[in-house]
Amino acid sequence: MPSDILVSADPIDAAALLSTLTGHSPDDGAVASFVGQVRAEGDLIALELEHYPGVTEAALRELCEQAIARWSLSQAVIHHRVGRMGIGETIVVVAASAPHRRAALDAVSFLIDRLKTDAPFWKRVHTEQGQYWVEARDSDTAASQYWRDQIAQEDA
Amino acid sequence: MQIRIRYMASLRDRLGEGETAHDLPADVTDSEALIAHLTRRDAAAAALAAPEIRLIVNDRIVTRPSALEHGDRLAFCPPFTGG
Repeated sequence: MPSDILVSADPIDAAALLSTLTGHSPDDGAVASFVGQVRAEGDLIALELEHYPGVTEAALRELCEQAIARWSLSQAVIHHRVGRMGIGETIVVVAASAPHRRAALDAVSFLIDRLKTDAPFWKRVHTEQGQYWVEARDSDTAASQYWRDQIAQEDA
Repeated sequence: MQIRIRYMASLRDRLGEGETAHDLPADVTDSEALIAHLTRRDAAAAALAAPEIRLIVNDRIVTRPSALEHGDRLAFCPPFTGG
């Protein structure tokens, strides 16, 4: 299963998920991963993630397929949680398995950076006083654009 | 031409919940003309004209401007903030 995509309201067990990548492919010398979790920030008591069923999964699959082709990965994984979650809970796990570390590390950076701007998810912060939608960050747009430029340069 | 529209996340709070049907005048043939049409009926819809607002048509993310066809299902989306 080269692409493993899941969007679900169930809690993510990051350690269990990563154990599905390690030790399974004799050709792979590297497994890299990123785990995003809810940060205690200001008066946040919970974070809520909304997505667009079907379209979000298709966007994640497209990113994984691009990463697999570009870095010759044997596996690319994105599991993203939706719904309401508390401080410290896992929001997303991105992982890549490859023959060498640079490919695995770059693929994970690509996947999380592009996920933030290309996959339809929206975050809402809940506080004791009420709730508000998280605004997109310019730094996230810049990180995603970095990969577009990289790929355009290398493909030129 | 009739289409259906819904608003995602913060846009839903400003412009309304649920999917609504719209009968469009003949001169409204793309997404930008649609936004102008919606803005004439509700000034708050002017927010849709911002370039960072994304559009999903029939479950596919499209670039604006996007031509409209009878029966299209549109979702206007604020910038994505996942991860």
